[in-house]
Amino acid sequence: MRCPLLPAVALAWLALGSGPARAAEPPPLTVFAAADLVFAFKEIVPRFEKALGVRVTLVLGSTGQLAQQIEHGGPADVFFAADQAFVDRLVAERVLLGETRALYAQGRIVLATARAIGWKLTELRDLTGPNVRHVAIANPAHAPYGKAAEEALRKAGVWDAVRPKLVYGENIRHTLQFLQTGAAEAGIVALSVATVPEIDWVPIDPRLHAPLNQATAVVRRSPRPELGLAFIQFVNGPEGRPIMKRYGFLLPGEF
Amino acid sequence: MDWFPVWLSLRVALTATALTLLAGVPTALLLARKRFPGRNVLEAMVVLPLVLPPTVLGYYLLVVIGSRGPVGQALAAVGVEFAFTWGAAVLAACVGSIALVIKSAQAGFETVDRQLEQAARTLGRSEWSVFWSVTLPLAWRSVLAGAVLAFCRALGEFGITLMVAGNIPGRTQTLPLAIYDRVQAAQMGEANALALIAVAVVVVLLFGLSRVARLRY
Repeated sequence: MRCPLLPAVALAWLALGSGPARAAEPPPLTVFAAADLVFAFKEIVPRFEKALGVRVTLVLGSTGQLAQQIEHGGPADVFFAADQAFVDRLVAERVLLGETRALYAQGRIVLATARAIGWKLTELRDLTGPNVRHVAIANPAHAPYGKAAEEALRKAGVWDAVRPKLVYGENIRHTLQFLQTGAAEAGIVALSVATVPEIDWVPIDPRLHAPLNQATAVVRRSPRPELGLAFIQFVNGPEGRPIMKRYGFLLPGEF
Repeated sequence: MDWFPVWLSLRVALTATALTLLAGVPTALLLARKRFPGRNVLEAMVVLPLVLPPTVLGYYLLVVIGSRGPVGQALAAVGVEFAFTWGAAVLAACVGSIALVIKSAQAGFETVDRQLEQAARTLGRSEWSVFWSVTLPLAWRSVLAGAVLAFCRALGEFGITLMVAGNIPGRTQTLPLAIYDRVQAAQMGEANALALIAVAVVVVLLFGLSRVARLRY
């Protein structure tokens, strides 16, 4: 069978080969960062690029998934986790450089209400009301903010009442989407992603959950550990700190 | 707008479709025509990627081809890094889509009249020639349908790619990953544009294929 498609497909393939080609330049610094950093890092990264004249590739994902990838050779230079436990485990496995480990933030959780529903929750107890049918939190099994949400609900004594209403997001951004779309009336999300027009929020007392200490470290396989360290210092320095603070993180030295 | 994810996805999906046809059509023929020990096991293996959640499949693949896995270490010994490259995205697309090629082609081959093949053999055709001049022309619609399904699945592949190729902008961020990333970053305008492109690609492809199919038969 002589197929007229074959030459066309082969040509298309060759043409596409030249498409993604990028000019030869030093490979960018690759930063693997937890999803709760999405907004803050979109501001910090361009400033770092400008200050040091390097390019940065920002890869956002769930802390657990990124940790697994780094463990299996993922091309990260630096890892920013939403939970220090992941960094400590990879340091112990000698995947991350222990001497570069640093805390960079403490996360806060907030009680969020979808604006579309027309009223606002002010305390965790409100989640038990009949007008709240779905409560979005990140999956407590693997998402740090989900774990904190569960702890807060338990400490507030409403876990058993709220449990049947829970819907789990894969990570904190995914959880926020349940609220942004109005699919869930209320939920618990990170303060760092809560400033979106679709939701109202009130802070949750941080004493209700274990502190969400977030740590970072340079990857041992990185060919340019000094550049990765420079990025960590930039985030923790006079340029990065005000931005992190603006997105609702508590900073090292403040907690 | 950054067009890289579009080019990358097209290249990955085309490459994956070619590879799945290459491996899938012989497998389909084998399953359609031969009875052999382990056939049921092979058939189950073929559909397994459709059953397992993509991220789980992706995790197992990563364990095998990652820097700590047996395949990954063998490749590293000859200086090749496969995980987190566009090649890994092709592997992900192949794993996700090969079942579609095999099952469609197998169904096509099973409906081919065996007597026509026998007639060709009595006329002295070799098995190779029988396949190309009788079996495949009679089953080509099923094979093509499988290829189209595989291409679309490869173009939309998300979970396996996310694990084994990563979501690295400018390197392994395919169209679906780019859309996901934009949604996560609340850049809905770009997400919508990319989603529209994905739709356009498939519409153009299906339109073109239906034209080709009508021209030929």
